[in-house]
Amino acid sequence: MEKERFFGGGWKSAHAGLLPEVSAFAGDEHLPHSFVGFGWEQPVHGQEAHAQQLESALSSLVSSPSSNAPDGNDSVVIRELIGRLGSICNSGNVSPSSRCHSAHASYYSTPLSSPPKLNLAGADHQRQRMLVNQVAAAPFLADQGFAERAARFSCFGAAEAGQLSRVSSRQSLAKEVAASYAMMAGSSSSPEASSASEKLTAVVAEHNARKRKAAPKGKGKAAAPSSSSAMDPPEASPKIESFIDASKLCELIPLPQEENSDSKRCKAAEAGGADKDAPVKPKTEQNSSDDGNAKPPEPPKDYIHVRARRGQATDSHSLAERVRREKISERMKLLQDLVPGCNKVTGKAVMLDEIINYVQSLQRQVEFLSMKLATLDPQLEFDTETLLSKEMHQVHVPLPQQVLFPLDMATSAFSLAQLPLKLAENPPDSMFSSLQLPPIDHLANLWEDDLRYVVQTGFPQSQEAPFSSGALRAE
Amino acid sequence: MDTDGKADAGLLERSRRIKTAAELGLARSSRGRHWSRALLLRRRLLISKEETTTTTRAAVEVEKLGVEDEPEEKMLQARVRTLQRLVPGGEEIMEAERLFEETADYIEALQEQVSAMRALACLLHGFQRTRGGS
Repeated sequence: MEKERFFGGGWKSAHAGLLPEVSAFAGDEHLPHSFVGFGWEQPVHGQEAHAQQLESALSSLVSSPSSNAPDGNDSVVIRELIGRLGSICNSGNVSPSSRCHSAHASYYSTPLSSPPKLNLAGADHQRQRMLVNQVAAAPFLADQGFAERAARFSCFGAAEAGQLSRVSSRQSLAKEVAASYAMMAGSSSSPEASSASEKLTAVVAEHNARKRKAAPKGKGKAAAPSSSSAMDPPEASPKIESFIDASKLCELIPLPQEENSDSKRCKAAEAGGADKDAPVKPKTEQNSSDDGNAKPPEPPKDYIHVRARRGQATDSHSLAERVRREKISERMKLLQDLVPGCNKVTGKAVMLDEIINYVQSLQRQVEFLSMKLATLDPQLEFDTETLLSKEMHQVHVPLPQQVLFPLDMATSAFSLAQLPLKLAENPPDSMFSSLQLPPIDHLANLWEDDLRYVVQTGFPQSQEAPFSSGALRAE
Repeated sequence: MDTDGKADAGLLERSRRIKTAAELGLARSSRGRHWSRALLLRRRLLISKEETTTTTRAAVEVEKLGVEDEPEEKMLQARVRTLQRLVPGGEEIMEAERLFEETADYIEALQEQVSAMRALACLLHGFQRTRGGS
């Protein structure tokens, strides 16, 4: 298979040498696993036998998202994990695929790409893929992006719900990239990253159409104070709903706790946008908005001005009611995009039914998979108390400190499987501060560390102990 | 360690723990969402073996005034209530709009969770095969 050949080459080639192959190889939708394969390019010579199996497994795994029984051996699951995690939108959905691409690529590319490469404003697939490939040097940061992406993307996606055309959604995502990039810049404290983020926000800002505003605007504002100025000028009158959404989303996210990107973003967004919609007072206004009488404009004033439609009541109650209903239908559209097969369904009731079924099926799948995992690996042990205690102690935890649990299991599985457990010995701080793999003499350690990059996203040293003990106990 | 020798209860216990940990990871990965906090709260209480009465809270009525007339409205309300029960912490959300937001985020997180666990299962399966059993 072509993919296997590619990956076989990838296993042996150097990092830089892989770049053109990856970009050349990448099809349309298998962005994540090209990235993922890229991330594993550090040669694991001892695992050559695995490599071939990994590639076949990966290709089959990714190409058939619903199947979980690939032909070859599946030891490449970490790659697949990354790929899967990144391709959530792609695997399930049709419409937001482009959106997910952008988001995916953007999050991957945030911390590591050198500034000129992060020009996502044009945002076409090819370029994004290249960006992703260039980032692949630090898979752990991709994992960071994962952890953030879930929150941020959903936050973002909800804000953008009712108003995204595909093209403009990419632009918004580019803004989102800027936001996340600036966040990453802040967290990783890399000057290039911050300058790149600023540049990116500037690029994105100028690229932005008139319509797209409130959510990315809010986020862009929070992303970097310097970039916010760049964001402001292109902001025309944003739509009322998106603005309300942005503020509401920011309310959702708890501000006081961790200084994660969301809180930062939302703090600034709130500060910037509080004047605009804190008193959500609908007011009719005869404004020559760009979209006629459909959506209300957003003048920079104190109230949310809602334009009354023709032939409809114009008192404040019905206006508020209408705004509310529109918001609800926006959300439902977003849910429609998420739930596969909901596009053809019309009517709220049927759609709600579909959504309910989907959530139930997902929950059942989680149960089933947990049962399956329990049977698969009898040595898999999970110190849930430790996990919980970690949870309770994590009050000031910055955003990167999030572990996707199944990846924990993967790590312990890996450590079980073959490799000497060096987890406890390698200080994670050094691993994560340096944006490359630490020099390791033992190839098995390379594998471990790769895993660690994938799995963990910056646990502080103090919290390593429970995790490694948990993994050790798995033996 | 031979869970084979043990009864199914051991398996169930482990699977439950796995699921719990999975949920914890899921919730932690989407920190800041209402459902994630509710999930953590629920799980923490369960893990700590505390038998509290937090779950006996009555579902908050979601007032969703749809554009339709009465009978459809009732149907919609019923469905929305079901959704409330499905999404962790949904029973505390009053506005339909917020509920849908949380639902969307929860769905995304669940999708990620499922795919990650599935991949992990494949990985472990592969390991078992290469090593000729654990």
